[in-house]
Amino acid sequence: MKPIIVARNLAKYYQMGEVRVEALRGVDLELYNGELVVVLGPSGSGKSTLLNIIGGMDKASKGELYYEDIPLHEADDKELTFYRRNDVGFVFQFYNLIPNLTAYENINLSVQISKNPLSVEELLEKVGLSDRANHFPSQLSGGEQQRVALARALAKNPKMLLCDEPTGALDYRTSIDVLRILKDFCKGYGKTVVIITHNTAIARIANRIFYLKDGKLDRVENNDNPLPPEKVTW
Amino acid sequence: MLFKKMLRDLAENKGAYIACSIIIIIGIMIFTSFTQVMGNLRLSQEAFYSEQNFADGFAQVQAMPLAEIKKLEDIRGIEEIQGRMVRDVKVLFPDREENVYLRLISIDPTQENPINGMELMKGIPLNERETNIWVDNKFYEANNLELNQEISIVASGKKRDLRVVGIGRSPEFIYALRTSSDLYPDPETFGIAFIPLEIMGTFFPEGAVVNDIVFTLRPGVSYEDVEEQLEPELKPYGLKRIFPRKDQTSHLLLTTELEGLESTATALPVVFLSIAGVILYLMLRRMIEQQRGQIGILKAFGYTQWEIMLHYLSYAVAVGITGGAIGGLLGIALSYPFTSLYQLFFNMPGLSSEFSPSYLLLGILLSLVFALIAGYQGCKGVLTLQPAEAMRPPAPPIAKRVWLERITFFWNMLSVQGMMAVRNIFRNKGRTIFVFLGMVFSFAVLGLTWSMNDLIQKMIFDQYEIVETYDVKVVLSSPLEEKKVLRELYHFPGVKKVEPLAEVPVTLKNKWHKKDVVLLGLPEDSSLYNILDKNYNEIKPPRTGLLLSERLAEVLEAKTGTRLQAESPMLASGEDRELEVVGIIPQYLGINAYMEIGAVQDFLGQEGLATSLIVSIDKEHIPHLQKEYRQSAAVENIDDKGERLEQTEEVMASFGSMIYIFALIGIIVSFAVIYNSSLITLSERGHELASMMVLGMTPAEVNSVITFEQWFIAVFAMIAGVPVSKLMLLGMSQATSNDVYTMPTTMTGSSLLIAVLVTAGSIWVAQQVAARKIRKLSLVKVLKSIE
Repeated sequence: MKPIIVARNLAKYYQMGEVRVEALRGVDLELYNGELVVVLGPSGSGKSTLLNIIGGMDKASKGELYYEDIPLHEADDKELTFYRRNDVGFVFQFYNLIPNLTAYENINLSVQISKNPLSVEELLEKVGLSDRANHFPSQLSGGEQQRVALARALAKNPKMLLCDEPTGALDYRTSIDVLRILKDFCKGYGKTVVIITHNTAIARIANRIFYLKDGKLDRVENNDNPLPPEKVTW
Repeated sequence: MLFKKMLRDLAENKGAYIACSIIIIIGIMIFTSFTQVMGNLRLSQEAFYSEQNFADGFAQVQAMPLAEIKKLEDIRGIEEIQGRMVRDVKVLFPDREENVYLRLISIDPTQENPINGMELMKGIPLNERETNIWVDNKFYEANNLELNQEISIVASGKKRDLRVVGIGRSPEFIYALRTSSDLYPDPETFGIAFIPLEIMGTFFPEGAVVNDIVFTLRPGVSYEDVEEQLEPELKPYGLKRIFPRKDQTSHLLLTTELEGLESTATALPVVFLSIAGVILYLMLRRMIEQQRGQIGILKAFGYTQWEIMLHYLSYAVAVGITGGAIGGLLGIALSYPFTSLYQLFFNMPGLSSEFSPSYLLLGILLSLVFALIAGYQGCKGVLTLQPAEAMRPPAPPIAKRVWLERITFFWNMLSVQGMMAVRNIFRNKGRTIFVFLGMVFSFAVLGLTWSMNDLIQKMIFDQYEIVETYDVKVVLSSPLEEKKVLRELYHFPGVKKVEPLAEVPVTLKNKWHKKDVVLLGLPEDSSLYNILDKNYNEIKPPRTGLLLSERLAEVLEAKTGTRLQAESPMLASGEDRELEVVGIIPQYLGINAYMEIGAVQDFLGQEGLATSLIVSIDKEHIPHLQKEYRQSAAVENIDDKGERLEQTEEVMASFGSMIYIFALIGIIVSFAVIYNSSLITLSERGHELASMMVLGMTPAEVNSVITFEQWFIAVFAMIAGVPVSKLMLLGMSQATSNDVYTMPTTMTGSSLLIAVLVTAGSIWVAQQVAARKIRKLSLVKVLKSIE
């Protein structure tokens, strides 16, 4: 099978005053269609940096990155914008919803800019918020807000969903709900889902687990029998 | 330590602070320069008036023996009274085509400190037995004269040579207009000359008689009381006009100018400083929200509330002092060219600009006060913050539906960005009002500016191209039988048409209102002088009753149907007559009353009388006509309309630059308001905007949330700006209109269109500049932080 993402010797340096911080120090990896990947690693290991670069939010200082053979490391701002617009969905720890748009409108915001969007009603149904569609973020709980954020990311019908600590601010029960939606999306639509977390328990739902350490990919573990999210405990 | 923090914070947001400072600088610059120029003008005026003994009252009579004047000194309230002979004569300059006039004013060289005396700047005293004159400095300079040069004039048809022995200036002609239909002084073609009375008497058949009287009042005496006593004394001598200092043309125009300066010096700086104040307030409040954590830490360390408050106020102080100092210095610098501009129009001694630290200090103080008020309002939130509370992020904004959503038709048309924008408009009411008011002001100023430009053009065009369609006006020295002169002129080569005109000085009275004006008698079917109504329909001069110009009707509080008392020195019977107002017409230059010429003659009881003739003539024959009649005793002057139009247009062109200054003010205001509102939005909602970019929106799409909001407000602001602009125009017209000109108050469609385009253009440019900041928004940095 052909990988959807190929990274070769990916590196990222930040110049912080007089100190050079090396966030990524040469990462090689491939991501495949329809797989759920969990990236584990202590804070500062470069997880988020890697995700931001793969998602076209940031540029690598060195190395090569291909999305379906398109060299993203050569892409300009405009090309990256359209890559994010058409092919990638993002979910963050702190939801990042637009406060003065309702749940429905937040999702519609992303429908409005995509070529092949999913139905807003269907998504609301799927995340179990049909009855909350006209609520503003300030009227929703954290878990509900994260589910709106998920629906918003999925609405564009992207090939790949990138999640940075999606359950980091949630309690156990809501976390499981969110993970189940992610898993459904991955299996049901055959999309690639990448989850960054420092919660090792979550790794058990993945097809593959990437261990990141000091800006390098330490090892990759294959999981032939991923658990359904309901079975995961912590 | 906190001082360093302030400098760094300022540097970080330099765009917004610079924009704010620029507005302060402009405001203070206008304040300092205008106040300083105004102060200079006022001081010079006062000193000049008192040194040259400027008259409190003026009167014009047909002729009065000099000896009779002495007797008037006994009138209660009069300090001094002097009689003069005043006549305009033509100057003969070889190789000069246009008419040049000199106003001869008799003087008694032995009189010490005469009323309205000339300040001798160069030369020697007048010798009462010689044909020597003093001329005014502007005329002297404009015509490259030299001392002891002789200039030739024509008086009563005879050529006379006058020797220039001195130059000077008079408080009566600070703003020297020859006729009240002139708008601007033109020293090249009109000057003032002082000449001994005995000598002047020999020039004219009537000899040395007085036709002009000036007087000063004792302290505490009202002009009206003196006028009441003086009027009956002067009547037997053919009193034409008696009026107080406030109606004297030069004084009136100087006073109007000073009042205009004063209101500009107050109104504009207040507008600018208020805008800057609001920007400063919004920025500080925003900064305090963002720095809650830092404030909490400082409070936890044990900094007192006042120390922290002072720290945040220091931002306002820094901006206020910098803006005030730069604005003050620029204003003082600007007052130099400004004063020179006034020197062109106002002929006064002591009119010079000098560096005065008091104006600079005043400017800084003013700016500082505004900045401190704005700053305190912005910072006072610091006081109530508890340290523990301060270190927590502020509660998230609560979003609400807005009433506009109920108009589903409108709401469904909006993109999601549009919905965000509309909700933001209602969420940040204060900022919305600020942007709205800023836009209203900017639009109104632009509309006003271009309207005024259009209107001035209209004033001149209407008067010279539509109303007065003749080419030359021949003014007779004394009223003549119309048929005789008509016949003569008809035979002059190139003459196509000649019409008689009766210009009669009258005093019109309605109840306690009273006004001296010229009553114009025109042939009923005149094609060389057209009376028009508001819609440019021609109106025939009435055979019975009077037409009044709008301004005259206003002054007299007269309406159609009002019966006015009319008196005139030319009335054969010498008694008041009653005339009915039959119509009111717009007139922008001068104020007049109109009648059919035959009716005027009947009114005066003088059959066939004409005072001037208006002539339609081929252009190439005008010089011949002037040459032929220049020395004629019957002709006082020959007025070439083309020449007058040219002069007026020349002056108007220099005033065109004022338009650009006002336009610039409008543009700067809308730019600053939009740019700052963008920056504040950006810092407040960076998070939201970044998450939209993560979704894959282009910077332009993200920017549309901000721009939609601004355009939405701007559309309403421009609509509201139309009546505001109209109000400003009305105010402007009321403040500047006088007997010389009346400013029309119709907004022109084209000026509104230009205002829309220029406002929209400056909004667009400001948005483009602000949009660059969106492109630089770092997604990673913004999204990592908690909202």
